[in-house]
Formats: sequence, C-alpha cells, structure tokens
Amino acid sequence: MPIRVLIVDDHPEFRAVARELLEEAGYVVSGEVAGAREAIASVSAETPDVVLLDVVLPDGNGFDVAAQLSRDPSGPVVVLVSSREAEDYGQRVSGCGARGFVSKSRLSATSLASVLA
Amino acid sequence: MISSADPVPAPTGSLLRDPVLVLPLAVVLGLVVGWEGLRTGVSGAVIAVDLALSWGLVGASMLASGRARWRRPRLLLALAGLLVLAGDLQWSSAPGLWTAGLILELAWLTVVVQLVLSFPDGRSWSALALVTISLGYLAAPVGGLASALVTTDSRDALSILSSQSAEDTIGRIRAALGFAVLLATVGLVVWRLASLRGASRRAQAQLLIGATLAFPLTMVWLARQALTGESPSTALSAVSTALIGLIPLGFVAAIGWSRLRRTQASDLVVELRTAGEPMLRDRLARVLGDPTLALAYRLDDGRYVDDSGQPASVPDRPGRAVTLLSAGDEVLAALVHDPVLLDEPALVESVRATAGLVLENERLAARVRAQLAEVRASRARLVTAGDEERRRIERDLHDGAQQRLVAVCVTLGMAAGRADPTLAETLRRAQDDLEQALAELRALARGIHPTLLHEEGLDAALETMARRAPLPVIIEGAIGSRLPAAIELAAYFLTMEALTNTAKHAGASKATVHLQQVNGTLTVTVSDDGIGGAELTPTGGLAGLRDRVEALDGTLNVHSDPATGTTVLAELPCGS
Repeated sequence: MPIRVLIVDDHPEFRAVARELLEEAGYVVSGEVAGAREAIASVSAETPDVVLLDVVLPDGNGFDVAAQLSRDPSGPVVVLVSSREAEDYGQRVSGCGARGFVSKSRLSATSLASVLA
Repeated sequence: MISSADPVPAPTGSLLRDPVLVLPLAVVLGLVVGWEGLRTGVSGAVIAVDLALSWGLVGASMLASGRARWRRPRLLLALAGLLVLAGDLQWSSAPGLWTAGLILELAWLTVVVQLVLSFPDGRSWSALALVTISLGYLAAPVGGLASALVTTDSRDALSILSSQSAEDTIGRIRAALGFAVLLATVGLVVWRLASLRGASRRAQAQLLIGATLAFPLTMVWLARQALTGESPSTALSAVSTALIGLIPLGFVAAIGWSRLRRTQASDLVVELRTAGEPMLRDRLARVLGDPTLALAYRLDDGRYVDDSGQPASVPDRPGRAVTLLSAGDEVLAALVHDPVLLDEPALVESVRATAGLVLENERLAARVRAQLAEVRASRARLVTAGDEERRRIERDLHDGAQQRLVAVCVTLGMAAGRADPTLAETLRRAQDDLEQALAELRALARGIHPTLLHEEGLDAALETMARRAPLPVIIEGAIGSRLPAAIELAAYFLTMEALTNTAKHAGASKATVHLQQVNGTLTVTVSDDGIGGAELTPTGGLAGLRDRVEALDGTLNVHSDPATGTTVLAELPCGS
C-alpha cells in the first residue's frame, strides 16, 4: 500500500515540484494545503501517513502544527521542510515532535526516505 | 508682567463682595448696642469684651482687603463681627429686638468655626469639616430659634409654647452640640497643623494656632451647661469670649507675616543670582518655601519642558496655581505651585524679577536638552525603522527568490534522476552550485535579519553563530530570557561583526563571547587571542555598531593590543 503524504506549504511553486517528486517516487499525495489550520483539518479528514510541513506558514508555524499533530499517537509522521536550515531554528526542530527536518533545496526521494526510515 | 491663574473671581465692588462699609457700620451699631446694655445694667466688662471682639473681627476683615483668595474668610469675619452685636440685642428690653438677640445668640461662634474650617480659600477642608460646620449652624442659630419658641421669658415676642423644661432641655442639647462642634473643630485644626507643609503651613499656621487656643475655655462652660444646665458666670463668659479674639489676631498675624516675607525676598535674590547647582527649580522651591513647585520652560513652539528637557505639563486644575514668567511679551517659563503663594504676591513678584536673568540661561539649557532628547529619540526611531526594514527584506528574500531557486534546485535533482549518466552528472553539478548559492543567500539573509534571534532570543542565536564561525568560539554566560528586540539585535550584530573581524584579521586561535546581565545592564564582551590592531574608524563596521549601541543609551569600546588580542565591550541598558 503506497504511503500517503499531505503537503503543507504556502508557496504553490514548491507544492507543485514536491508533488511531482513524491508521485515519481511512488508516494500518493493525499492533499496540498497552504496554512496551519487547513493542515490540521486535512489531517483529520484524509488521515495521511506523512505530513511534509513547511516551517513558516501564513497563519502560524510548522512547530506548533507538528506539536499538535504529534499529540495523537496514531497521527501522521511529520517531516519539517524549510528553505532555511535546521540551525536557523535552534532547538525548536528537535523539540516539536517532528520526525525530521529536510532543507527544501535538498528534498529528494532519497533524503525523504532516509528521514522516514 | 506677572499673571496668575486664580480660582477665585476678582471682587466686583459691591458691599457684599468688598465690605468696606462694614467697619463704620459695626462701630455705630456697637455704640448703640453698648449704650443699650449700659442702660439695662449689663456689666461694663462684658460690653467691652463684646465690642472689642466685634470690632476686632470686622477690623481684621478690613486688613485683608486686596487679597482675592481670602475674600470668603473676610466676609465670614465681618459677618461674625456683626453677629456678635446681633446676639447682644438681648440687652434691649424691646421684645422684638430681645427675641432677635436670643435667636442669633452665639451664631457668630458658628460663623467663626466655618471661617476656621474653610480657611484660607473658603472651601471647607473636608466632608468632616462640612458636617462640623452644619452641626454648628444647627446649634446656633437654628437652636436659638427653637429656644425662642419655647422660652418662658416675658420679653419674648415669638413664644408659642412657654415651657421651662423644654427651654432647659433645648439649652442643654445646644450646649452639648456646641461642645461637640468645637471639639471636632479643635481636632481638625490640630490634625491640619500637623499635616501642612511648606508655604501652606507658613500661610495658615498663625490662624490655626489661634483657633487651637481660642476654643477650649468656651468648651469648658458648654460642657458644664450640657451636664448641669447651668449658664456660665458673667466672668467666665466674658473671658471665654475674649479668648475667641485670638482668631482675628491669628488672621492679622498671617497677613503681617506675609508682608514681612516681602523684605526677606530681597535676601533671596542673592541666592537666586548665584548660578550653578542646584537646579533653578530647586532654588526657587527653597526660596518660595514650596517643595511641590515645578518649573516648566516654554519652548518656541509653545511646548513646556522641565530642567532636563523632558516634556512637562502645565496643569490647569484646582489645587495648583500657575504663574507665568515673561520677558516683554514672551513667556519664558511657568511656575506651577501651591496656590497659597498667591497670598504672597510681593514675594512671587520679586522672585519673578530676579529669576528673569537666570531664567534665560536656564531656558536655553533646557532647550538644548530638549533638542538632545529629541535627537536621541529620533536616532532610536531610525534604528527601529531600519530593523523593521531589514526584517521585511529578509522575509521578501525568503518568500521570493529563495523559494523559486529552491524549486529549481529540486527540479534539477529530479531531472538528474531521469537523465542518462552524462547529463545526470552535469545536472548534479548545476544542483550543487545552486545549493551553494542558496547557502550564501541564506547567510546574507541572516546578516540582514536573524530569524533565529527573532524567534528564539539571544542565547540560541549566539550559540548557532558560534557553531557556524570559522574559528572556535566559546560562549560564557547566558541571558535565559528575552530582551527588547532592539537590545537583542544590537548584541547580535556586534558579536557577529566582532567575530567576523577576528576571523578575517586577528589570526586568533579562538574567540570568547561573554554575556552578563546585571542591574538592568546587558554586558557583551567579545575577545580573542589574536594580534590586535582593531580600531574604531569612522567608516568601519564597529563604528556603525557603536551608533546602534549609543542609540540605545549604551556604550561600545574596543581595546586592541598585540600582546593581549582584541576585546570589544558593549554595555546596553535593558531595563530589567
């Protein structure tokens, strides 16, 4: 059964390229949303296996969304993505409940698989 | 010249407002009443005491003419003086006059109580004072009317229910009420004497001390009358009445004292002319005896500032008086002071005349301080505006170019995965170059505005900066809490500049960043073990940082020497 992924990012060009990459690598994209509130709603509606979550969102930030999603043990695996580096966010990356962090420019089937492994 | 905000309207000249004719009236009435008393066998001593008190009260009232603020006390004094004579109408055997005298007996004492408890501006001191005054009027003359209705005396023209027992009871109730009123009055006076300070005390103490001494003997016979029903002996009554004369005496003494102060003013001129410390305001406050005095300099644009150039308000409210100090038509400054100083116009006037010379200098100094404060505020605003702009640029970079380049980078990676090995190799190289460019772009963005600092504070941001630095950096100390954004940014940027200089020029093996927050000051020290040679040049990066630090009222210093390396030390007041 293919892994279902929700893409959360407010930049349409990144969502498009991420969808293309994921689908080519055999994932199924359960949805694409731009904001924190939509992300929470889409997770409860579509129950994806993985959430690819941008850190900076127009109505909140990825750390808070990740923390909220990780409170549910049966919830999705959260992978944070950002055009900044993990170091730019200090301790927040490790403390928010996300499985891992991938710098957007290094996003590939391989880098994603190594976080999910 | 001098102008004053006076809460009491000026006298308009009517008899009621400015009772110049009361004195001759009191003299004539006194002579008539006294003659009648002599004719009906009243003791000469009693007549003399009453006339002296009456004329003393009216005379004291006349002496205070020309004092707008004392208008109501003057009226009360004159009224009390006339009421002394009105009470003495009882000396007449004519029924109508006798009854009028009975009703008005001791009403003068209530008026004196009101005078004391509303001195000097005519407003009663407190709610308790108002109650005391009201009870006084209940004892006399309202109680006097009650007596007139029940008295058994054959001279009474108003008696509707002649009853000896009712008359006695009313007499004792009035005496008890009168005793309570005087007790409360003395209590209020003593309390006020103890709480008044400065100019107010100076202006009021004489009358208050007079009041403290004037009432006790009257209280003695009132208490006795309330308990036993016995009227005071002629002698006791005369002596106690004479003692009330201490109140108009106190009133006159207060006037005399303030006239005396006028001559003292000339000595103070010398003190005022001595320029220098302490501030002119403090000297004026001492000279005028008003510790609450505030001095506000008027700037050309009409705003007022204090000695230190901070904006000052010139309040237009009761309890404060404003005296404007001017040269020609130009207002130089405003004195905000206790309104009792208006009772000493000569003193204020001589201070005004003397202060003029000193004032011009002090006002110039205050203007310079105000301009300095303005420049500092505008510098701080410029820094804040600059920071806001940097933050916006960083966000634009992140949301715009960076996002598109990131998408291109991912696309290149995907293309490489699909291409044949030769093309894939080229595409991967392009992707690597692009990633390198993105990393440089991120570094640039961090230099413009550090997101981590904004999100996580100084400790986290400096830790990351230390990790990224091209030489080993040790961080000593931590802040543990968030500081104002401008402080955090200044500390961050100066550390970054210092570490960049160390890495580029110092040839150091390591650098140390020391953070300390003590007594509301953040101290940031960046030191290295390099070859020294760093200095603050007008166009250098450190000079720009010094401007930023000084805009926050902080200091930045650089010590650099080949033996000990370079130390950059910044102290930033951070309020907590």
